[in-house]
Amino acid sequence: MTARVLLLVAALAIAAALPSLVGEFWVTLLTQIMIFGLLALSADLLLGHAGLFSLCHAAFFAVAAYTTAILQVRHGVSTALAAPAGILAGTILSFVFAFAVRTRGVYFILITLAFGYIIWGVAYRWASFTGGDNGVTNVPFPAIGGLRVAGPTQYYYVVLVAVVLIALAYRVLITSPFGLTLRGIKSSESRMRSLGYDVGSHLYVAFVLSGLIASIAGVLYVYYNRFINPVAASFPVSLEAVLMAIVGGTGTILGPFLGSGIILVLRNWVSGFFHYYTAVLGIVFIVTVLFAPQGIMGLVARWRAGNRGEGA
Amino acid sequence: MSPAAIAVDHLSKVFGGLRAVDDASLSVASGERRVLIGPNGAGKTTLFNCIAGTLQPTSGRVLLFGDDISRLAENRRAARGMGRTFQISNVFADLTVFENLMLSIIGADGRKWIMHRPVSRFTAERAQALDSLVKVGLADRADETVKFLSYGERRQLELALALNVDPKVLLLDEPCAGLSPSERQRFSQLVAGLPRAITLMMIEHDIDIALALADRVTVLHHGKIILDGTPDEVRANAQVREVYFGRA
Repeated sequence: MTARVLLLVAALAIAAALPSLVGEFWVTLLTQIMIFGLLALSADLLLGHAGLFSLCHAAFFAVAAYTTAILQVRHGVSTALAAPAGILAGTILSFVFAFAVRTRGVYFILITLAFGYIIWGVAYRWASFTGGDNGVTNVPFPAIGGLRVAGPTQYYYVVLVAVVLIALAYRVLITSPFGLTLRGIKSSESRMRSLGYDVGSHLYVAFVLSGLIASIAGVLYVYYNRFINPVAASFPVSLEAVLMAIVGGTGTILGPFLGSGIILVLRNWVSGFFHYYTAVLGIVFIVTVLFAPQGIMGLVARWRAGNRGEGA
Repeated sequence: MSPAAIAVDHLSKVFGGLRAVDDASLSVASGERRVLIGPNGAGKTTLFNCIAGTLQPTSGRVLLFGDDISRLAENRRAARGMGRTFQISNVFADLTVFENLMLSIIGADGRKWIMHRPVSRFTAERAQALDSLVKVGLADRADETVKFLSYGERRQLELALALNVDPKVLLLDEPCAGLSPSERQRFSQLVAGLPRAITLMMIEHDIDIALALADRVTVLHHGKIILDGTPDEVRANAQVREVYFGRA
């Protein structure tokens, strides 16, 4: 246990020191990795714990981002109000979309896919409100009271603190009785019912919490990107969030962030010299599913079990 | 007279053209041990599923201590004191034994919604979980992941889960299926040792175990109840001997 705390402190110290060690390109990329890692983490609350494969998390992400951007840019609302309003808007949407938990399996995937397309369609077509293809530009860096974020490096720290706090809260959530009920549902829904659980309401609440985290990621994103357009609401964003969790390891906290790191580094690096970046991404997913279905965290767990002589 | 613990009133369940349960009526007194027997396909599990709420009957009613529960969802029936085990062990294979028990302990109240405190801090519940493990003879396996348990151990765990719900009525669907003869012996003793405050309804294929445990026996054949009587009456009944034991 203390070893884990030490490891965490060391990791945080490295994360805090990084901006003075690497250039702005990497600081920006790391910020992006943390934000999309958070989005992947939100989708993984459903996938890794409750066993639901959602394809609409870009919707909460984008609605939160648009809300904050529109309030701040067009209506001059301060960050202190625009950011919480964005989180609230995304979460309210998740209250509606959470009705998807009445379905399971491929029907759940399809209905969340459809939900995601609705939001993308609105963002794209309702141009008078969303700016259409051009989106909302000139989002300023966040400022609360007299505290103003001055540049990408400072914003990196803002995101780092937010992500660490959410990850700690998430850890409490998944180790709590409520978190246990989700894993129970994933393992045997019929047994849960015969123990007296109203499975639907637990999944509903999990869905809303998941939407809340995705919304926070969306607000962090809009201040990072300083611009929002329908791409943020598009299907690939939802899909990649889930795939990041799978590559890194579902049902873990670190996994979605590792997956985000791998995919975003690949995208930034490979797309520099290779046109078929998405093909490389496809190969990464195929290799993961075939050889490491539990993702990187699964490999780590297996390696550690092997070292303790427990066999793989 | 106090109402029956379980009363089934003209219950039928139809799957397409098949009448799996056909106009079945029975009444199990509080504290009674009732065993359902019948050949494969007689409709025993279907009747169980209608009583537990896993299936909705096509017609007829189910009463729990006089209350009509026919329209209640399965989890609502569990909350009213209906525990069950399944024909094929239904436990949480990916979780530890302790986590399985924790879920069975907190299912009935608001503790299942707690989000801000890790399960590991629930020491009273842990003690309760260990206690229930002792009762079913699994005391040393609390931190094992269930998928590493033997089949017999899963049966024991499943019984502990069902008992932690604090059932007034416990439905056991072939609890001894798949167990070795010695495990069967142990398990039927475990069932026999349950407190009389729990009304038992049990499906059992092993006729010796069934007749030894039962106060009364209900015999199903092609979805119909063909006999409802004491173990001695069942042994003596010619029709039961024919459908169940085959012609001598």
